[in-house]
Amino acid sequence: MNQQERIITCEETFRRLEDYVDREISAEEMERVRQHLAACEGCAHEFHFQEQTLQALRNRLQRIAMPATLLSRISQALAQE
Amino acid sequence: MSENRQNQRETAQFEALLLPILPKAYGTAYHLTHSRDDAEDLIQEASLQAYRAFHTFQTGTNFQAWFFKILINLFRNHCRKRKREPEIAILDDAPDLYLYTQTAQTGLQKSHSNPVEVVLERMNEAHIRCAIAALPDEYQIVCILYFINELAYQEIADMVGVPVGTVRSRLHRGRKILQKSLWHVAEEEHLLPITKKLSYEGNPV
Repeated sequence: MNQQERIITCEETFRRLEDYVDREISAEEMERVRQHLAACEGCAHEFHFQEQTLQALRNRLQRIAMPATLLSRISQALAQE
Repeated sequence: MSENRQNQRETAQFEALLLPILPKAYGTAYHLTHSRDDAEDLIQEASLQAYRAFHTFQTGTNFQAWFFKILINLFRNHCRKRKREPEIAILDDAPDLYLYTQTAQTGLQKSHSNPVEVVLERMNEAHIRCAIAALPDEYQIVCILYFINELAYQEIADMVGVPVGTVRSRLHRGRKILQKSLWHVAEEEHLLPITKKLSYEGNPV
């Protein structure tokens, strides 16, 4: 593949936003997006914001402490089986 | 080996596999049921069902995926039985980059380096619960598995029992809806930091 074929537009890049942030596209596609982001400040800002947003959501949703008694409750239930 | 000792050994094996995944299983159950009590009940029921079916689990395969399949199926049965609370409005769509646009327009992007984190830190469990509840049930399942367990699309597809393309579309759409519902909750509860309102281009309105 030559250099010309690898260039993708802002629109094509944006279509890959969700899959890119989740690393759910091929290594070749990842590289195409990376190249576009390196050259396009606007898209890079949006992509960075989306990654930051997903990480913030992940951190917030994962902050749920399991009750200390849950394991013993399960063990007791299993013992009665 | 006596039957009793065999049972004890199986129980110990089961618990050894269950213990490391229990915190994330509980987190998943909590966000699905929106209740600590219901989450505990769901995890206990899933554990019992898994224990009863433990002879069908193939050693060396993914216990977490196997257990979460049971958990999700139980939750779906629970959904079918319960009636959704009428005050919860289900959102069916949202534009791309909703939080990006909103934080730009309200000036939060100028005043904070990580505006979404700032807003999320102001939200309590009830606010988060309310925002998640705006997602349709099947979208909630996929999004919560994604956010709590950090799984690949294929792993989620295996747990939920749908094609990977369905996971992709539900997750992408669900995340958009979640962004919109989080913003709405933050607005309604007056949780947004006060800033000078800006136009999309960043000029004062």
